Amino acid sequence: MSKISVKGLRKSFGSNEVLKGLDVEITEGEVVCVIGPSGSGKSTFLRCLNKLDELSAGTVIVDGFNLSDKTVDLNEVRQHIGMVFQHFNLFPHMTVLQNIMLAPVELKKQSTADARATALKLLDRVGLADKASARPAQLSGGQKQRVAIARSLAVNPDIMLFDEATSALDPEMVGEVLQVIRDLAAEGMTMVVVTHEMGFAREVADRVIFMADGVIVEEGTPAELFGNPQQERTQDFLSKVL
Amino acid sequence: MRKLNIFRAGKLAVAVTALLALAGGFVGVSAAAASQPQSAVTGETYVIGTDTTFAPFEYRENGELTGIDMDLIRDIAANQGFTVEIKSLGFDAALQALQSNQVDGVIAGMSITDERKLVFDFSEPYFDSGVQMAVAEDNTEIIGYSDLAGETVVAKRGSEGETFANSIKDEYDFTVKALADSATMYDDVKAGNSVAVFDDYPVLAYGINQNNGLKSVTEKEQGSSYGFAVNKGQNPELLAAFNAGLAELKDSGEYQAILDTYLEQPAPAAASGFFGLLGDSLPALMKGLGLTLLATGLSILIALVLGVLFGFFKVSESRVLRGLASGYVSIFRGTPLLVQAFFFYFGLPQLTGQSIDVLTAGVLTLSLNAGAYMTEIVRGGIQSVDPGQTEAGRSLGLGYVTTMRRVVLPQAVKIMTPSFINQFVMTLKDTSLLAVIGFAELTYQGQQIYASNFRTGETLLIVAALYFIVINLLTMLSNKLDKRFNK
Repeated sequence: MSKISVKGLRKSFGSNEVLKGLDVEITEGEVVCVIGPSGSGKSTFLRCLNKLDELSAGTVIVDGFNLSDKTVDLNEVRQHIGMVFQHFNLFPHMTVLQNIMLAPVELKKQSTADARATALKLLDRVGLADKASARPAQLSGGQKQRVAIARSLAVNPDIMLFDEATSALDPEMVGEVLQVIRDLAAEGMTMVVVTHEMGFAREVADRVIFMADGVIVEEGTPAELFGNPQQERTQDFLSKVL
Repeated sequence: MRKLNIFRAGKLAVAVTALLALAGGFVGVSAAAASQPQSAVTGETYVIGTDTTFAPFEYRENGELTGIDMDLIRDIAANQGFTVEIKSLGFDAALQALQSNQVDGVIAGMSITDERKLVFDFSEPYFDSGVQMAVAEDNTEIIGYSDLAGETVVAKRGSEGETFANSIKDEYDFTVKALADSATMYDDVKAGNSVAVFDDYPVLAYGINQNNGLKSVTEKEQGSSYGFAVNKGQNPELLAAFNAGLAELKDSGEYQAILDTYLEQPAPAAASGFFGLLGDSLPALMKGLGLTLLATGLSILIALVLGVLFGFFKVSESRVLRGLASGYVSIFRGTPLLVQAFFFYFGLPQLTGQSIDVLTAGVLTLSLNAGAYMTEIVRGGIQSVDPGQTEAGRSLGLGYVTTMRRVVLPQAVKIMTPSFINQFVMTLKDTSLLAVIGFAELTYQGQQIYASNFRTGETLLIVAALYFIVINLLTMLSNKLDKRFNK
């Protein structure tokens, strides 16, 4: 069953066209990693999936919601799609627990007490049960990103988007974050992961998409794409990063 | 004479006076007086309006209204067996109150003019004024107009003194400089910036009496006469009693004694020391300080509302709202506060025909002005919060308003607080500019005090010290609150 359906997606910033017509189908439970050089449009593609960036042309249907339809309640759609950012974007004026509880309580999905219980459970799941009352400033980068993942999971999304979630981390902290994403994959979460971690993509992805200059150059299973890339640009890119 | 040109037969006088009555908390009492038999003023109480400060005719000494006008009306009342209740309203307001029968009479160093005779009935003249020239006490070179060749003299802007000086300046070849008030003019002469001053004879005589460091060197020029006024056709018995009492005081020599008290009598023994001045002036200054704080508080509150409103307009996606906010900010940041104050107090009533009281005009000016700066503070605060914060909030499914309220604003407020405190202090200091429109705040009170005692330097030191203390106390308090709530 198709969870995300993208057809002819184009996105321009002023006169600069960043996405030049993308077609992607992602089925339920699939883990798709998007790789490619900087400026290839990977992050913009991801941000179009929950409409943090407006679409210039084409259609995006996520979890049955057509994002081009003006009557669709974006806030409702976004509760189905969690997003994790490169720079964590934790709310610095709140404790870890308040960060996680904010959305469920504000959206009236849970009572404060239930939200607290859920938040503590999620913190336990990402290995940070003891940091509930800490402020983001007191955490390491890896810990912050794990809290950010817990925060996204608190609204119980069907889909998770990761936008270079480990790029801003010191090398020794990358592993702990990838482990959390790996666990989510194992639980059957539908995920789109923009990443520079080729080893991780090879290990976890069901499918890898290689983007360059706003188009999808090549896609396939990790074995196909990493083992036997067909396109010259793919080969060129992989030869530099592997 | 300063009061020749300010008369306005406004149709709105009634409304204005009602407003003033509310503000001043007094109630008109003229109805009872009008119903009495005309001959009987005995036992009656009349409400008399006057100016705030026009030394030596009316001014406050130790908080009490005193001066030639005050002594005269009180003595005439005693002589004729009626009592007076004095309302110190300000010159224009007193005339408006008289027109709407909120007061029964006005005595305020008012010149008798044909224009005023159309709406008021005047008593016999009780004082003949005129312009006189004075120089510094130690100046022995200037003893007449002919010694002024090539020199600069000073006169009060818009006064009869200025008119007179200008009328003879070509003949005697001197330059006339205009200043706003008597105390400043006298300081200018003492400092040697001007060699002589042309001022109203009684004002000048009073200043010399108060050891202002000047001496008069010419006879007074023929000028206008002052009269006591009642509303046209109203209170004729009061007018008659005033004339009768005035005649009796003149006969008994009491009238001359009053004039001598203020104009001729040698100066009182050495002026009181600095602490005497402090003690004498503090009650009036504290009243001014109260108004300063009131105007600041009201203005900052309104400015905060305006700042938040237009600040949000500035960061909104609507081009119209952004344009509106930008227009507002550029108008009020792009013009001087002083011009804005003049506009709201003097200009706006002329354009709309709607009078405005000085507190309203002052608060309007300050709040609109501070609001423009607040708008920029709010905009800057919101925009300095990392956009990733908004994206994180929105990606969780939170709406724009919720994201603003729970995520962006708490961080923005923390960033804005020091700027808010700064603006608060600026606005408090800016209230002093409202002295020019006659708002009786701290600086105005200080000016009133040295206008009658001529101790400019000491009085301003006290005023500055009061600002300094209050501003620093409030800053300390604000910073404490900031630390406490914005950890």
